Amino acid sequence: MKFLCVPCDSPMKLQTVGPPDRGSLSVVYSCPECGYEMAMLTNPYETQVVQSLGVRIGPDVPSTEGMGEAGRLRAEGASAGSNCPFAAMTPAPDTRALTDQDRESPPVRWTSAAEARLANIPSFVRPMARTGIERFARERGTLEVDETILDAAKEFFGM
Amino acid sequence: MKGYHDIAGDGGSRVLEQVAEQRSRITDGLAGVRHLVAVGSGKGGVGKSTLTLHLAGALRARGLRIAILDADFNGPSQARMAGVQGGLFVPGSRKVALPRTRNGIGVFSMGSLVPESESLEFESAAQGESHTWRATREFALLGEILESVEWGALDVLMFDLPPGAERTVQYADFLGSRTSFLLVTIPSDVSRGVVARSVAALSKGPNRILGYVENMSGYFCRDCNAIKPLFVAPDSSGQAHPSTSPGTSRPPALAIPCLGTVPFDPELARLCDTGTFLSELPESAVSRALEHVAQQLLDTLESTTSASAPVSNELRRDKPASAHASRELPPGREIPR
Repeated sequence: MKFLCVPCDSPMKLQTVGPPDRGSLSVVYSCPECGYEMAMLTNPYETQVVQSLGVRIGPDVPSTEGMGEAGRLRAEGASAGSNCPFAAMTPAPDTRALTDQDRESPPVRWTSAAEARLANIPSFVRPMARTGIERFARERGTLEVDETILDAAKEFFGM
Repeated sequence: MKGYHDIAGDGGSRVLEQVAEQRSRITDGLAGVRHLVAVGSGKGGVGKSTLTLHLAGALRARGLRIAILDADFNGPSQARMAGVQGGLFVPGSRKVALPRTRNGIGVFSMGSLVPESESLEFESAAQGESHTWRATREFALLGEILESVEWGALDVLMFDLPPGAERTVQYADFLGSRTSFLLVTIPSDVSRGVVARSVAALSKGPNRILGYVENMSGYFCRDCNAIKPLFVAPDSSGQAHPSTSPGTSRPPALAIPCLGTVPFDPELARLCDTGTFLSELPESAVSRALEHVAQQLLDTLESTTSASAPVSNELRRDKPASAHASRELPPGREIPR
């Protein structure tokens, strides 16, 4: 969708995206020539259709080429702290995969490098992966997940 | 006044560019996969998932590197059938590693992530109106899976498609012309009619249709060691089914190659429920039939493969995992018309 300032015959530029409000986004455009501003207010269907495409709406969305998966996922709002307007609509991590033994065991630390690798994978896989890898680490007598543990888990479970 | 096509970009959102970039990442991620094969039908309940898994097993037994993407997100069955319900997705250096079966087949199935007691749900701003966006969201999920999994160097990536003739075409559109289709039917006019529609729809696009497999083609009785009829056969004229009502015509013949027929075997169904591979059982009429279809599939794929295929040549040095792998098998029976 594009917006044209009719008096200036100039394409308008996206300025800001308001956070979701009951399924609606407030997207503000302005004309670079005359400065006139207008807001596009989406209905929930429109919001959902765009969300379903898996794209991000925001001013000056950078190209994700060359960013790497982690950077791309952060840009698309899959990570905590994202400014993606759809971030609030994504499901929170669940703990269904936790067993009683997992809950009663001492917490497992993740090194920053291991956390970075976890951030590379899709958000819907992450909670299950975290729980399973922590269990794998405990079974090997360690309470820290580092890249060595991840590589061992990959060798054990992965293709 | 300017029109839509007079304006470059969309003012900053880059929606079209983001979609194109995702497609590019998917293409890059699948660059090491030699053959993309979608197993579909249009008809539900004909055994697409069963054939997908056991054909994958037969190809794996030949030393090929195989993975399955269970694209039936709402009714995933590969996790249970392949024995990876408890499979773990482990983060690699940049992408996620696939869980693998005991015999080394990579499997992505939502059944590994969503318990069978729950349905697949998406957060939505338009709850109660999922018909307006659900299919789009599912294809976005498919794209996310394709670009975020370490597919690596594979000989064949098999897609286990959901039912629905229209879905078959949507997957063809999404997966692109590199993907070939293997269709599954059963010996009933209803099934053949639906599959004929899928053939007609796919034929309008660029995707290659490898052929079809007639599943449940008779009933394999282990007590008698014989294949008995499971569906009523058409009469000798082939013009009308004995029980066809006046005015009801036979479906059109499927104008694509038949890669073989596979009889129904309750033992095979039991294996699917328990995540056991056919190669773990003694040879039978069903395993021979599946081996034949697998060889036909492989021959068909190879018949049009370009000479530049280092991936498969490298991987074929793998040791076959099954004693059934290299046997010469009898040709499949012709489907009665």
